[in-house]
Amino acid sequence: MSKLSFRARALDAAKPLPIYRGKDMPDLNDCVSINRAVPQMPTGMEKEEESEHHLQRAISAQQVFREKKESMVIPVPEAESNVNYYNRLYKGEFKQPKQFIHIQPFNLDNEQPDYDMDSEDETLLNRLNRKMEIKPLQFEIMIDRLEKASSNQLVTLQEAKLLLNEDDYLIKAVYDYWVRKRKNCRGPSLIPQIKQEKRDGSTNNDPYVAFRRRTEKMQTRKNRKNDEASYEKMLKLRREFSRAITILEMIKRREKTKRELLHLTLEVVEKRYHLGDYGGEILNEVKISRSEKELYATPATLHNGNHHKVPECKPKHPHHLSLKEEASDVVRQKKKYPKKPKAEALITSQQPTPETLPVINKSDIKQYDFHSSDEDEFPQVPSPVSEPEEENDPDGPCAFRRRAGCQYYAPRLDQANHSLENSELADLDKLRYRHCLTTLTVPRRCIGFARRRIGRGGRVIMDRISTEHDPVLKQIDPEMLNGFSSSSQTIDFSSNFSRTNASSKHCENRLSLSEILSNIRSCRLQCFQPRILNVQDSDSEECTSRKPGQTVNSKRVSAASVALLNTSKNGISGGITEEQFQTHQQQLVQMQRQQLAQLQQKQQSQHSSQQTHPKAQGSSASDCMSKTLDSASAHFAASAVVSAPVPGRSEASKEQNTGHNNINGVVQPSGTSKTLYSTNMALSSSPGISAVQLVRTVGHTTTNHLIPALCTSSPQTLPMNNSCLTNAVHLNNVSVVSPVNVHINTRTSAPSPTALKLATVAASMDRVPKVTPSSAISSIARENHEPERLGLNGIAETTVAMEVT
Amino acid sequence: MAEVVSPVPGAGRREPGEVGRARGPPVADPGAALSPQGEIIEGCRLPVLRRNQDNEDEWPLAEILSVKDISGRKLFYVHYIDFNKRLDEWVTHERLDLKKIQFPKKEAKTPTKNGLPGSRPGSPEREVPASTQASGKTLPIPVQITLRFNLPKEREAIPGGEPDQPLSSSSCLQPNHRSTKRKVEVVSPATPVPSETAPASVFPQNGSARRAVAAQPGRKRKSNCLGTDEDSQDSSDGIPSAPRMTGSLVSDRSHDDIVTRMKNIECIELGRHRLKPWYFSPYPQELTTLPVLYLCEFCLKYGRSLKCLQRHLTKCDLRHPPGNEIYRKGTISFFEIDGRKNKSYSQNLCLLAKCFLDHKTLYYDTDPFLFYVMTEYDCKGFHIVGYFSKEKESTEDYNVACILTLPPYQRRGYGKLLIEFSYELSKVEGKTGTPEKPLSDLGLLSYRSYWSQTILEILMGLKSESGERPQITINEISEITSIKKEDVISTLQYLNLINYYKGQYILTLSEDIVDGHERAMLKRLLRIDSKCLHFTPKDWSKRGKW
Repeated sequence: MSKLSFRARALDAAKPLPIYRGKDMPDLNDCVSINRAVPQMPTGMEKEEESEHHLQRAISAQQVFREKKESMVIPVPEAESNVNYYNRLYKGEFKQPKQFIHIQPFNLDNEQPDYDMDSEDETLLNRLNRKMEIKPLQFEIMIDRLEKASSNQLVTLQEAKLLLNEDDYLIKAVYDYWVRKRKNCRGPSLIPQIKQEKRDGSTNNDPYVAFRRRTEKMQTRKNRKNDEASYEKMLKLRREFSRAITILEMIKRREKTKRELLHLTLEVVEKRYHLGDYGGEILNEVKISRSEKELYATPATLHNGNHHKVPECKPKHPHHLSLKEEASDVVRQKKKYPKKPKAEALITSQQPTPETLPVINKSDIKQYDFHSSDEDEFPQVPSPVSEPEEENDPDGPCAFRRRAGCQYYAPRLDQANHSLENSELADLDKLRYRHCLTTLTVPRRCIGFARRRIGRGGRVIMDRISTEHDPVLKQIDPEMLNGFSSSSQTIDFSSNFSRTNASSKHCENRLSLSEILSNIRSCRLQCFQPRILNVQDSDSEECTSRKPGQTVNSKRVSAASVALLNTSKNGISGGITEEQFQTHQQQLVQMQRQQLAQLQQKQQSQHSSQQTHPKAQGSSASDCMSKTLDSASAHFAASAVVSAPVPGRSEASKEQNTGHNNINGVVQPSGTSKTLYSTNMALSSSPGISAVQLVRTVGHTTTNHLIPALCTSSPQTLPMNNSCLTNAVHLNNVSVVSPVNVHINTRTSAPSPTALKLATVAASMDRVPKVTPSSAISSIARENHEPERLGLNGIAETTVAMEVT
Repeated sequence: MAEVVSPVPGAGRREPGEVGRARGPPVADPGAALSPQGEIIEGCRLPVLRRNQDNEDEWPLAEILSVKDISGRKLFYVHYIDFNKRLDEWVTHERLDLKKIQFPKKEAKTPTKNGLPGSRPGSPEREVPASTQASGKTLPIPVQITLRFNLPKEREAIPGGEPDQPLSSSSCLQPNHRSTKRKVEVVSPATPVPSETAPASVFPQNGSARRAVAAQPGRKRKSNCLGTDEDSQDSSDGIPSAPRMTGSLVSDRSHDDIVTRMKNIECIELGRHRLKPWYFSPYPQELTTLPVLYLCEFCLKYGRSLKCLQRHLTKCDLRHPPGNEIYRKGTISFFEIDGRKNKSYSQNLCLLAKCFLDHKTLYYDTDPFLFYVMTEYDCKGFHIVGYFSKEKESTEDYNVACILTLPPYQRRGYGKLLIEFSYELSKVEGKTGTPEKPLSDLGLLSYRSYWSQTILEILMGLKSESGERPQITINEISEITSIKKEDVISTLQYLNLINYYKGQYILTLSEDIVDGHERAMLKRLLRIDSKCLHFTPKDWSKRGKW
């Protein structure tokens, strides 16, 4: 006991306590109870209750006996478990599911009425049921609605009728009953409910009020503070989620397409196997028959208006084989296009693979190996040969964006090919896949031998090939070729300077290239120049050759192609705005469509016109020139110019030479022109652009006045400007260029401010102070009498306003 | 100093002892007070016959909490002193030993007929010690109590139209003053009121205290007394009227109202069982007069009659608690119910549980709690056996808020199973936990028993390594069992296992301890199998507000 006197150390919870059994401790009695050293832990009970008799008894019993004695338990009120009607009450059985029960939170609220009928109600129900049928549930729903609709104030009978969808008699009966019962009811409601707190705090001490809301005043303020930020966050969240959804959908689509591709590939392989086509011959054959283009080693992308009437979605020559190819090569190059299916379709239709099957298979394999799971199915492969301009282009080849609401058409297959030499392919294909001498418009130069193909979205891709002639070819000035191209080929004028175009024919003499040129001239060597320069911005669309497909050697064909060009130009003017041009190549497509339409009609006429009227040709050339000019200066103008002349020309040559001389610049629309116009109009996006182009062309023409040749050619473009530029007017009148154009221009031009500016510039150049461009435009607008222009008029007016500003 | 309610009915005032102690004078039904039974009023103490579990008659001292008159027959609600409230009951006067009756001390002089008794019985014996002890928690309490009492009184007073009102109000301002006390008491004369307010048929016209209290608690005291000083009193007291917002148990006296001190539900039918509630539960007041409250066994919805229950069962297709099953072994399953997502079930469960848990508070909503309901399966469905609630986030390491085994299932090991399960959850969470306080008597016994068995299991399972004596730290025990360190220590103390021997603390397992444990473990057949638990704790702190 003496040990009691010393103070034990505090109990350390982290210190190991050795465990002794009773038998190990002979001197256990010497142990000191630690009660003094270790603070007694509270029991955790209320003090008064701790002393309760039964508890103490139980505790002491436990202390003594180490287990509960029956008599020492704490007594509690009795409970009985003999409800004998239990089985009748709870009918049916419930089988324990194998799985753990999981409950869906929203399944919990069912629409069942909270009100439960009692026997009193049952009596009423029985009574009512003599006259009509009313089910208990129906009754409960009625009472439930009445109860829930009324607070302290009972609902009136009228309200009850609105509330209950029963017949009046029943409502009346139930309502009366309910009112009576409610009055006799001691509680606030026939549906017993826990008493709710009142906001005034008057119920704070009411023992029957339960489950009060936990409101913390501080918190509300905090919340309010965050409101705006959190709202924005929510918005952002929502946006991101929807984006995620879009992405996922696209992925889904992509994966489906991939699967399809795989299946098709398999199918092809199987078919080939069945056919015994182990060497790829059959495949090749098929491919050749279907394909019109080749793949070349060095693809260069040309953004051009290779827009064809063929809708992208409906490839003309769907072919499995081509599919693969595209997938492996082309597809990857063009990542820009978000719409993969389209792209694929394009590719499939237009890109025949020259290679033999095995090669194709390889590519397929590659594709699947490396790209199948890629986010971007078509990762952009930098084109091996990229023009410096292209590389410098800040927007790069990707500048093109499809626009919503625009239709993109696949390049025309029939036009898509040119030709030539140096094919690794079989002789068969030689014609098809020949490389030809090619000139680019914007980096105005000859790039030597190349072949063109059309990529997704109608862009032209140049595959270059090196030959021993390269050094010589580099010296070729595209202008030298212009003459040839115009005459012999359908080549467009890529030159920026109209005069060069005009003189191009004459320039052919240059010595260093004479041989080549002569070859070209004699059509021994094909040479290609992009016709339409609409796109040719250094930024996005240089190097585009308008009409890739015009490989035909014969003059006739070329003429036809010219016509096409014109039409296409028209289309362009209608569809593409220069300003927007970089972003809106799509419009070019539309123009092409128009061209094609016209082409069919007017090929002959054009041809004849060309032959008969050299001037006309010249003019066409000049038109092209003007386009190029525009592109160089402002890409759009060119296209506009082109477009203007075309319809005018064709018409002029044949019918309209009589000349609607548009003295005022207001040209009476000829029938054809009207049609064109209407078509243009149909192209929704086009008008603004075309207007711009027109204006620009005007400017050119004015500058070009000095050169007679140009003058002749220019007039066509000018007519459009007539209103603005008197000078131009005179020249233009001859060619009758285009009432159509004018109309188009006016309407389209109105919207684009740049066009207006250009017009002003042109006007200044013309030194015709009288007419301000704005007025000219407005006048034009005024003069448009065609019903279609209605919208345009509005636009024109607005433009005027803009100009003023 | 608690005022003793004088038996004299109708007396305008009484002299309260201590303000702090002031409990509203018991609802003194004039009739009751003057009745032949000898002026038995609320607050009187006298031996009352009671039969103990050994079926022997006892005459423990009891306090009259309320008097009611049913069809001419008086019934007295008695609380047996030093017995748990759950044994309180209505008795007829035959069971009262009037010879030994003690009237509330001071009340004798100042008869107050206030219908509302104080929160605590005004028994003289109790008063004194209470006041003396008051140092600890009692001190603050008195004020509240006064408040409360006043409220009911006022309630009564108003209808009574007694002039005392102003007095009471003024008095209220200074609770500790005698005068105040008196004034407060003064209010009481409202005795007649009860009859006027007397609700309905159930109670005869002479409204008894109970009627007054129980039938009308719904009225807003404040609203009634709005014009009076009640409010000011409230504010002057500066005592928060609302309990703390965390936890589900009330350890202070904020709910120690006469209303809540009395059972209000006679009987509850739940499935096969008929339960006699132990404590007050705030079921809708209009249901408290029913002889039996019918509960749907599965959704726990309450109905007035068997017919209602029948009708309800045609619409309720639940056959298990509406939560996710997270444990199943044999017929025992546990369901987890989110107090925010499934309010109606949670509230119904709380209402039911309150019938058996004295200190449980239903003051606030159930949002911050999870409810783990233990069920036993038979062909009819998953029958609720017990449950415990748990705060989603506890700042004080509580892993259980309320825990209850329904009476029909008590003393069969289910309680320990519930406790064991709660610690299993804590183990999964990687925390130690402790039940929220205060514990009830049964809670304390159960927990102690669980702790003892769990700790002894570990201690006895330790093998000596390499001949050395096995040893273990308290922290280790705590980590293994998830029992909070303090509970480990208290258990070791309680079992007298910790001893100081030769300069260090040791744990000694005496033979009777070991034997007792082994015997107990033999009986403990129901165990939680942690392999059957499919539980992923959630981090509620990241979900904003529960």
